[in-house]
Amino acid sequence: MRRRSTLAIGAVALALTLLAAACGGGGSSSSGNGNGNGQEKAAAGNLASSQVITVNWGTEPPSLDPGLATDTTSSNILLNVMDPLVRLDDKLQPKPSLAQSWDVSPNGRTVTFHLRHDGRWTNGDPVTAQDFVWSWKRTISPELAADYAYQFYGVVGAQAYNACKSNCAALADKVGVSAPDKYTLKVRLTSRQPWFLQQVAHHSFLAVNKKAVDRWGSKWTEASHIVTDGPFKLARWRHDAEIDLVKWKGWRDARDVTLTRVNGKMISDGTTAVQAFEAGETDADVIGPPPDQTPRFKGRPDYQVFPALGTYYYGFNVKNIPDVNQRRAMSLAIDRQTIIDNITQANQIPAQAYVPKGMPGFATIDVKSKWLPAHGDLDQAKQLMARVKDPVKNVTLWFNNAPGHKPIAIAVQSMWKKLGLHVTLKAQDFAQYLQFLGPPPNKAVDAFRLGWIADFPDAINFLEQWTCTSGNNNTNFCDPRYDTLVKKARQTPDDNARYGIYHQLQEILMGPNGQLPFTPIYWYTYPALVKESIKGTFTINPLDSVDLTKVQVRET
Amino acid sequence: MTALVIRRLVWTIPVILLVILFTFLLMKQIKGNPFRHTERNVPVAIQQNLEHKFHLDQPWYVQYAYYVKGVFTFDLGPSMALRNQTVNDVVEEHFPTSLELGLFAMLFAIVVGVPLGVVSALRSNSVFDYSAMFLSNVGFAVPSFLVATLFIYFFALKWGAFFDLPTNGWSGWNSKILPSIALGLAPMAYFARLVRGSMLETLQQDYVRTAMAKGLRWRRVVLVHVLRNSLIPAVTAAGPLLGFLITGSFVIEFIFAIPGIGRYYITAVEARDYSVVMGLTVLLSVIIIVANLLVDILYGFLDPRTREARA
Repeated sequence: MRRRSTLAIGAVALALTLLAAACGGGGSSSSGNGNGNGQEKAAAGNLASSQVITVNWGTEPPSLDPGLATDTTSSNILLNVMDPLVRLDDKLQPKPSLAQSWDVSPNGRTVTFHLRHDGRWTNGDPVTAQDFVWSWKRTISPELAADYAYQFYGVVGAQAYNACKSNCAALADKVGVSAPDKYTLKVRLTSRQPWFLQQVAHHSFLAVNKKAVDRWGSKWTEASHIVTDGPFKLARWRHDAEIDLVKWKGWRDARDVTLTRVNGKMISDGTTAVQAFEAGETDADVIGPPPDQTPRFKGRPDYQVFPALGTYYYGFNVKNIPDVNQRRAMSLAIDRQTIIDNITQANQIPAQAYVPKGMPGFATIDVKSKWLPAHGDLDQAKQLMARVKDPVKNVTLWFNNAPGHKPIAIAVQSMWKKLGLHVTLKAQDFAQYLQFLGPPPNKAVDAFRLGWIADFPDAINFLEQWTCTSGNNNTNFCDPRYDTLVKKARQTPDDNARYGIYHQLQEILMGPNGQLPFTPIYWYTYPALVKESIKGTFTINPLDSVDLTKVQVRET
Repeated sequence: MTALVIRRLVWTIPVILLVILFTFLLMKQIKGNPFRHTERNVPVAIQQNLEHKFHLDQPWYVQYAYYVKGVFTFDLGPSMALRNQTVNDVVEEHFPTSLELGLFAMLFAIVVGVPLGVVSALRSNSVFDYSAMFLSNVGFAVPSFLVATLFIYFFALKWGAFFDLPTNGWSGWNSKILPSIALGLAPMAYFARLVRGSMLETLQQDYVRTAMAKGLRWRRVVLVHVLRNSLIPAVTAAGPLLGFLITGSFVIEFIFAIPGIGRYYITAVEARDYSVVMGLTVLLSVIIIVANLLVDILYGFLDPRTREARA
């Protein structure tokens, strides 16, 4: 369960925060340490004669059906073989892709996309608005049982159709997606959703080809059946071994695509992946070196670390540790920088709030929490602890049994010991762990580790998680003021005004009077190995996405 | 002999039913939601859609009946984690790879291990014997993940130019050498020790002395009388071992990024992908049953006493 679990784009603006967006990318993104950064300029050399690269994606994409894919690998392949309506630029703002423009009605509840007329499927058919209507309804349908159906819950009628037990056809007709003409897609939303355009950049909003799906059923994603409409097409897919893409010359902007072929590997073992990279069998390895190998890569030009929109945190069960001063003390006692320098090693950033750096509006949203100093503050922690009337001395700290979490838990155990706490560590396998944490969490849980990674770049994605009814709030924290503010944020289209509300939300969580239902440890990064020939053009964006259309192989 | 085979085959049916039942009950006992792959929780309605689609909203005996029906109609159902694949797809695509890997490893183990044991026994307490047994101890003691990693480091990376072996994969013949040897090392060591031990014992038997006394050539005594009987323990071990090599090569498949079934088995358990776990467990049981059956048949050829007793 590495970080590469795509998270749900959240359940847009809907009252049930249960459906909240993002989901924590599992595990520790603990890997690598080094000093690369994703922003370097493209290599200076001339274009190489061969524009073929090999990438290790780390795992098999579990599904190439946009409705069913839930992970980053599938998402990365999909966004390179399909043509989204909207793409995100370097600043994570929406820019036209298949939709050449869009209008948002004054009340914000209707979004109309104007599609380009030169979109084509690989079978020669034009890509039309009707394709999107059909595809979206298919993903929403209860028969497909798509995990990501709830991403459409912000669309009028989608939730009712998704939950229907009878009369489903009529409900399907009521879903607020329509095609007034061949190239116009009209979407009616249940409420104003300021981040809807960013959300549409997510892979679950891609269109699929009806003919291919009707003909092949669930097998339509196989290389020999699939019909796509993006810059690359699927040349070969040997499950769990190789997935190869080739440039599709029929794509509308094929002249802008330099690569002719991208061979994909699925080497899960970090050590083997590094060896394959060093043997020259791969040009890029997006899982990065394992932590024990990282020191060796420090300072090497082929080691890069890209910033991520994700937070690794330790949650508290506020029913078991009810005194806010104890939670603050426990937060203050954690030396985040030491954990990063010695354990996770991939230049993660010690978290000073929950919403990570790089999120649009970060400067406004950030609270620079006094409870989260990078190196901790043991003296203050002890003072606070002394004020706790009835301190909980025996704390059980839970984590899932995946690589990377245990060393961090051991470090935190020793840091909390200095507060006079006796910490017992308990591990479970991931599936069991998630069920154990609820919500509500099992009574035996005092503290636990989890992570959260954004699916679309708006802080609502992170902050919605802590409402009373959220399906992802495992802390028992519930503050009506918080929920009211979240509702208000949903209705605030002006970015700056909304960022101000996000700031208030973070204040409630970890401001000077914050409740500290959890304590963020670090903001994730994506370490990767990238050959110098493609360095600068092969980048991972903060949503863990690689845009292969930008990659160029240079002579080195 | 035919009657024996038929009787044994018929017996596999209740065994498989029990295997399905136990696996099913065990999988139900461990907690976890097959539709939750990340920290993100899906809404109740979607969870219900998923449970309905995969019959998890039915009583347990109905679910059990579905699995049983699936096994006996060779339709193991859709995977819950790999949404575009059925368990049959997984087996069809990945089982041949594991089978091949297991057979190659077994071949290596037999071709190297058996002669090593024979020669060690014939020259017991010689330098050859000691070195062979030392090697086999090492092969037995060093875990396969370490062997695999070292193999890749030396043969594919450090001396890669000389050996021309890839670090991973399962496509060309040269990609199959390192994993097969890495997987076959432990059983090779096991065979060597087993054969050596039983050879030494057989050499002490009266009938060997008799054969020698009759003036048979040493070579003939060893090849026809000693070796044949000494191989019985090795054959006994070989059946389950082959089953284990085919289905239990998870570590090797993981390290060498080989698209085999072992990798799926473990990840399916982790993901609570009930249908895949069930399907692969049944497959594994059938393999073990068949391997044991083959061993019983082989006994007949190797040991005249068994043959006569059955006749």
